Amino acid sequence: MKDMLILLFRSKRFIVGFILFLSVLLFALIGPILNPRNPFQMVGGLFSPPSNEFLLGTDNLGRDVFTQLMYGTRTSLLIGFTAGIIATTIGVSIGSVAGYKGGVIEEVLMGITNVFITIPSIVILILLSIAIKTRSALVMGLVIGITAWPWTARAVRAQTSSLKTREHIDIARISGFNTFEMIIGEILPYMFSYIFMAFILQFSGGILNEATLSMLGLGPFQTVSLGVMLHWSLLWEAVRTGAWWAFIPPVICLSMTTFSLMSMNASMDEIFNPRLRRG
Amino acid sequence: MGNLLTANHLRAYYKTVQGEEIKAVDDVFLEVKEGEVLGIAGESGCGKSTLASVLSFTILPPLYLVGGEVMVDSKNIFTLEKEILRRDIKGKYISVVPQGAMNSLNPTARIKNFVIDIIKEHFPEMTKEEALRRARERFEALSLPPRILDAYPHQLSGGMKQRTVTVISTLLNPNILIADEPTSALDVSSQKIVIKLFVELLKRNIIKSIVFITHELPLLRHFADRIAIMYAGKIVELGPMEEVIFSPRHPYTKLLMSSVLVPEPGMKEKKIEAIPGVPPDLKNPPSGCRFHPRCPSYIEGICERTSPELIEIAPSHRVSCFLYGGKDVA
Amino acid sequence: MKNPFARYLIQKMVWYLLAFLIAITLNFILPRLIPGNPVAVIVNQMATGGVQSDVLERLYSTYMKEFGLDKPLYVQYFEYLKNIFRWNLGTSFMLYPGKVNDLLGRALPWTIALQVPAILTGWIIGNLLGAFSAYKGGRFDSVVFTTSLVFSNIPYYCLAIILLYLLGVRFTIFPVGGGYSFGSTPTLSWRFISDALYHYILPYSSMVLVALGGQAIGMREMSIYELTSDYVNYSRNLGVRDERIIRYVFRNAMLPQVTGLAISFGTMMGGALVTESVFSYPGVGSLLFTAIRQTDYPLIQGCTIVITVAVLLANFLVEIAYGFIDPRIRAVQLGER
Repeated sequence: MKDMLILLFRSKRFIVGFILFLSVLLFALIGPILNPRNPFQMVGGLFSPPSNEFLLGTDNLGRDVFTQLMYGTRTSLLIGFTAGIIATTIGVSIGSVAGYKGGVIEEVLMGITNVFITIPSIVILILLSIAIKTRSALVMGLVIGITAWPWTARAVRAQTSSLKTREHIDIARISGFNTFEMIIGEILPYMFSYIFMAFILQFSGGILNEATLSMLGLGPFQTVSLGVMLHWSLLWEAVRTGAWWAFIPPVICLSMTTFSLMSMNASMDEIFNPRLRRG
Repeated sequence: MGNLLTANHLRAYYKTVQGEEIKAVDDVFLEVKEGEVLGIAGESGCGKSTLASVLSFTILPPLYLVGGEVMVDSKNIFTLEKEILRRDIKGKYISVVPQGAMNSLNPTARIKNFVIDIIKEHFPEMTKEEALRRARERFEALSLPPRILDAYPHQLSGGMKQRTVTVISTLLNPNILIADEPTSALDVSSQKIVIKLFVELLKRNIIKSIVFITHELPLLRHFADRIAIMYAGKIVELGPMEEVIFSPRHPYTKLLMSSVLVPEPGMKEKKIEAIPGVPPDLKNPPSGCRFHPRCPSYIEGICERTSPELIEIAPSHRVSCFLYGGKDVA
Repeated sequence: MKNPFARYLIQKMVWYLLAFLIAITLNFILPRLIPGNPVAVIVNQMATGGVQSDVLERLYSTYMKEFGLDKPLYVQYFEYLKNIFRWNLGTSFMLYPGKVNDLLGRALPWTIALQVPAILTGWIIGNLLGAFSAYKGGRFDSVVFTTSLVFSNIPYYCLAIILLYLLGVRFTIFPVGGGYSFGSTPTLSWRFISDALYHYILPYSSMVLVALGGQAIGMREMSIYELTSDYVNYSRNLGVRDERIIRYVFRNAMLPQVTGLAISFGTMMGGALVTESVFSYPGVGSLLFTAIRQTDYPLIQGCTIVITVAVLLANFLVEIAYGFIDPRIRAVQLGER
């Protein structure tokens, strides 16, 4: 495990991704603490360009974009993280049970999973978002999480299926562990790196899904997120009026976040999957 | 009669991402004579599969050729131009039946298309129909149903695939056929059929010699003319089959032979002995003679200093052990 | 069922119909989970907008009848299903009395015209690039991989916004949106078509670039995997030259990419819709955007159904096509295995 980590930190791609992500994280978490301003307060002229007072200018209602960016990034990360945790948990649970148990249980679980893979998730996301009464950040994370699990489930099932043929499984089973103990104790520890990568993927996907939903107008109420900022830009024609400070920063933040996460993931994939290593 | 192939001081190491070297083939000497079956035997992890890879030109990272030469027709094949290697040597002079023949066939191509490609690579003037006809003839001559040619690999059984791969490898009448564990994944009756095929190929002079790599010693007893015993990346003994099996010289070979179980008369009285110790780590092999930590004839002060040379102690029989000489080299 | 291929076809169709049924059931249930009477809410909204009371009465009764909210749930459900299969998607709230069918009918061709070519182009170029990159290796490969990684992980709409801003506003090379110039009406004249194409370039390019990145990465990975297979080594050992081997490899590496194509229709959908909104492109995306703003439930539901049908259909066709290409799958289909 430790050699893997050492290898990881030797990879240029990983370092780049890691540093980028860390910067975004710090910006989003430490920023709001250091910045006394309120993202919802109207403090300046409408769509005024960046100045010394407002580093990123103001938006269509005269609010400080820089502060919005901090809070927005934080919300987006929070939603993505929640979605990631939920999706990974559900996916791992379903996938590992299906893979370990096999037989009818596997067929049923995989059948359900496949149905939800086939139906485009954006549709379910839209419908769910309309249906719920309160759309707080956490609720959105929940909604996204419960639509994103199928891919993880499928991947985890495949891994579990092949893992369960190993000898230590038989030995443990004879020792009388039940299914739950077997999965937690004997199977999941071997899939740790795999699960972690799956989580990173879900985290990144969650951030994207939130942005998509928010841009369509189904974002969280009363909160600013990166997607919400972009939604406002669309609504108030920021692009056409050339108010680049209203949308370029969130675009950059969003892209940087997803890019850094996926970079790290790609590097991890190379380290953990030696077949992709090219000598 | 000169050798068809001579390997001298062959070295091939694996280099890991962490920068370590695994010396899988370390200073190997080998000679293949015309008309013979040379068996290469050894425990798992002794490097014989790597040797097979080197001899069959499959040297890909993380495996690297570090030194030595393989002389064919008085030319070192590793110095030949790639195009000459591809056109004249591969498949034509030296051919290979790889380990795991099951996966060696392109799953989405019909056998005949693969065969036509191979033939046309080496005989570009030949037409498709001509190539196909030749292939059919060869298949029939070796008692394989020609309907195989029209099939996809997944439609064939394991034994059938092995035989098909063997026939394909010998289509161009190579001088040397290198067979890497050709029977390991098969049941006993399939094994017999495959060996029969090899014998038939030799008899009809389609191939001139076979290098048969295996860990199953009883197989070599019935099939090989000479045997090379490999241990920890080196050849420790090389000689006629009967001598190596029934009067082995190297201490390792002796232990190896007495650890084999065969259904022959007199087996019941023989005592089976396991070889003490564990096979060495090829990353940090023992100093001097690689076998010295497990050797019952270990002589302190000599065996761990330098590696013994492969010395000819009888016609065509070589051993690398200080018991038979080479002490002055130490 | 004598013919095994027919059996396979029927199996797949049943499967997709099932998925469709589940999707439209969700489509039915979820909006109804909103507490309160949605019709009343909408009508109230319109009332505050200054609509006259007798119009309101008519509105109310129309929608009540359409939604059948006075009837028990299962009756509503069957009414709903009946309507779907008769392809009646109801009346729009905000553009009353415009029918959802008409609105979608006008928007759908634009969406198809944009997305299908964009996804296909991205797929083809991406795969070629990925395969070539895997073969070349070295520096070329590193550059291509990193670039693809960047492009494929930028959301579509982000790239769209950047392109729109840079090439449409900052440097006015391209128009700032719409499917065609403001004020002109869609006709089949050359002038209109070239105008539309001009407006088409930016949205098309942004989608192609992102799709390309994703495909390149996938194909590169598959190619590397195939290039290290046993059958490649064996072919090399027998002297088959690299150019020929490459042909085998890419054919085999392509196969999972075809599945990937089907999957991309589904996953790209969200991003594509938003891209349309960014460009105010008159497709389903912009329609959906406006519908959500106005909480026009029938229209939203209509859009989601259409999207679902499109994706399911695409997946279905690709699965059938895949069976024809890969002999191993065909064997399963024909019951050989």
